[in-house]
Amino acid sequence: MSGEISLGRYVEGDSPLHKLDPRIKIVMFFLYMVVVFTVSVPQVMAMLALCLMLQIIVARLPLKVIGTSITPVLPVAVFIFILNAVTNKKGDVVFSRWIITITDIGLKNATITAIRLILMIVSTSIFLTLTTTPLKISEALESLLAPLKLIKFPVHELSMMMSIALRFIPTLIEETDKIMKAQVSRGADYDTGSIVNRIKGYTTILIPLLISSFKRADELAIAMDARCYHGGEGRTKLNPLKLTMKDILIGLFMLLCAVALLVLNNIWK
Amino acid sequence: MAEKTNYKNEKQNSFSAIKLVDVSFSYGTDEEEADSSKEKEKALDGVSFEIMQGEYIAILGHNGSGKSTMAKLISALEVPTEGDIYILGNNTKGEENFSEIRKNTAIVFQNPDNQIVGATIEEDVAFGPENLGIPNPELRQRVDESLKRVGLYELKEREAARLSGGQKQKLAIAGALAMHPKILILDEATSMLDPKARDEFLELVERLTKENHLTLITITHDMNEAMRADRIFVLDTGKICLEGKPEDIFEDEKRIVGLGLELPHHIKLANDIARATGIEPNKECFADIQSTVQYIKETVKKANIKNVLTESHEKHQKNGNILTAENLVYSYDNRKAPVLNGVSFDVEEGEMLALIGKSGCGKTTLISHLNAVMKATSGVVKVNTRDGKVLKTNNKKDIKHIRENVGLVFQYPEYQLFEETVYKDIEFGLKKQGKNEEERKKIIENTVKLVGLKPKILNKSPFELSGGQKRRVAIAGVLAMEPRILVLDEPAAGLDPKSKNDMFLIIDNLKRHGVTIIIVSHNMDDVIRFSDRVLILSDGKTLEAKDTSVSFADCELLNRLGIKRPVLHSLLDMIIEPKDKETQQRIAGVRDYDDAVELILKEAAKV
Repeated sequence: MSGEISLGRYVEGDSPLHKLDPRIKIVMFFLYMVVVFTVSVPQVMAMLALCLMLQIIVARLPLKVIGTSITPVLPVAVFIFILNAVTNKKGDVVFSRWIITITDIGLKNATITAIRLILMIVSTSIFLTLTTTPLKISEALESLLAPLKLIKFPVHELSMMMSIALRFIPTLIEETDKIMKAQVSRGADYDTGSIVNRIKGYTTILIPLLISSFKRADELAIAMDARCYHGGEGRTKLNPLKLTMKDILIGLFMLLCAVALLVLNNIWK
Repeated sequence: MAEKTNYKNEKQNSFSAIKLVDVSFSYGTDEEEADSSKEKEKALDGVSFEIMQGEYIAILGHNGSGKSTMAKLISALEVPTEGDIYILGNNTKGEENFSEIRKNTAIVFQNPDNQIVGATIEEDVAFGPENLGIPNPELRQRVDESLKRVGLYELKEREAARLSGGQKQKLAIAGALAMHPKILILDEATSMLDPKARDEFLELVERLTKENHLTLITITHDMNEAMRADRIFVLDTGKICLEGKPEDIFEDEKRIVGLGLELPHHIKLANDIARATGIEPNKECFADIQSTVQYIKETVKKANIKNVLTESHEKHQKNGNILTAENLVYSYDNRKAPVLNGVSFDVEEGEMLALIGKSGCGKTTLISHLNAVMKATSGVVKVNTRDGKVLKTNNKKDIKHIRENVGLVFQYPEYQLFEETVYKDIEFGLKKQGKNEEERKKIIENTVKLVGLKPKILNKSPFELSGGQKRRVAIAGVLAMEPRILVLDEPAAGLDPKSKNDMFLIIDNLKRHGVTIIIVSHNMDDVIRFSDRVLILSDGKTLEAKDTSVSFADCELLNRLGIKRPVLHSLLDMIIEPKDKETQQRIAGVRDYDDAVELILKEAAKV
């Protein structure tokens, strides 16, 4: 049931990584993205992987969960590996038949790219999806993008929209389930028939869902008005984001690691 | 009564909270937005009244009488087209007053889901004060205090979407209280709650309003709820047609029924007794339940009762079983206790079986198994067809036929409408059954009549109909498939008294046409009136289905299972004060007011 669906696959916990200020996590996420896509020396990549492993241990994330986030991208990684291996023509040929030629440099590049992809997913999981609730991410973005308000970019509005969308996802999932059961009771069939027919069948869910969502939006807008909502100006926050010394220290440590990796990569290249 | 006298004493030093002067309002003044038919219709038409601070007002009226518009006008969500509204002295027309007015008038709306803004409980409560710019630590203190007062403090970090309906409405109250308002408006806030949650909610609100000396305005369809107020306004076509103390309002039964309303249970019973005995009540008898009970007791003593007409009810005839559930087990999650844990029961052909049980005990889950839209972890539902075959839910080939035999109407079925016209929507199931056009047309026209709608409605869009009409169209969509068993989940939820009564008459009529009915209901007064047998679901198991009168004789059991007794039975207990088992059973056998009057007179004649 919807009660069991965890959004963005957040894993509850109170590790230092969970508690870390979400703004720092977002900044670190981008920083480590840069690292993932810059390092190319195998030893440094191994160190990066080790670094991420450490973070997983600190966050006490079950390896199974990490595994399930990697599995869906494995086919993509394999595809990219093959594509890279086949298209690269530089270096010594190690394998050649028909029009397929594979070189040693090609193999090396392909491996690096595939590993990069997996490291990227792992690092996204660690920093964002698994240790940070979507709501926190939305709050952090509002705070990080605050300077854009100067050029009249609707930062608060976007963040509000995002958090309301997140708030309504369980409600809408429940509703979809309800509508689906009701239509099935009337003879609708979503599992058999041609694909076209199946897609057509989904209009019997989508239209009622859309209509009720509009109604909900309308009622919610009135309810928000009634509670004096007037945009972000002059609003206070119950749980404002606060940078603590600990956050800064952890951030600095991670920054140092990243810089060290980049430097080593440059030296050993 | 103490509160009412209190209010009178306080009135002199009280001040005007809400004042309406000749207020009219019509929707869609922007010409492009306006629906041509509604353009000139006034939602409110020349309304004037004044409410003093601390008063408790109920606003009644059938659907579309302008009640909700009133709530929006009072909280400055809409501005009157004509006339003026003063909230605590501020005119709602002045845009500069908006925030002051909205800060002071908190509303709790009907649908609990559509007023929760925050993802967690505490963040939702904070939403209002955050908008007012209340800084920490006052903000934190307001949130915590409000949550403590409604009893949700322990859950404050939970996700708001996961609360039960009753808890969500309490959350809405907490959100309102955190803004420190002077006026609290409940806009049909209890209509989606079950009776227990409703009582609890109302008691909470009344306690809080008294503690804070708030003005409370409740817009409701529940007459017993309205009885609790100091004054009642009745709206009809945008005008206030009745105004006064509850006992005055409900004096004229014909007028009330003509306005699409009904009488509170105790007044209805007193009126019926008066008619039967010819002794007119004075209206003081109506002020509260105790006085009414007293009046009835005295009246039947005075009255010279000779012979009481005995009208025996048509007893439900025993027929063969049409549906059998065997040992149904279902759990959403293997780790948790199953929702259904070995449910077995029979349904007899042609009967109306009521399924009752606490909110959240799995009634909807259970009925979803009856036509296999949910598949049991183990166990089976068998349906006996006319030609002697047995269809089983665990046999894939049978499922289509089971769904033809068992029609399922979920709660608030109007959400399932999706076609451009009513005709097409009802046609949906028939097309799936592969009926030809001529057959379909005939069936649709018939079905529409069965649910009490006029044929001209067929070409309209389902979305321009009223709430009660939409629901009937949705039921027609299931009925058109000519099921032999119709399962209805709270078919009257959220309807106004007249539509609700019509709905039950339609269902009763279907039963007369030979359709077997299974109905899920929270309203026990409806259950005793219409059902033949009662099936109680509790802790994942069903108790043996018994005749309605037998089920309701076991008050102890009902109490233990958290099921509220029918109001009519509780009233009879107070009037007759049964001393022996036999009388208790007679009370449990009472189905409607006629039965009740008969029983009261009979018991009086004994003495």
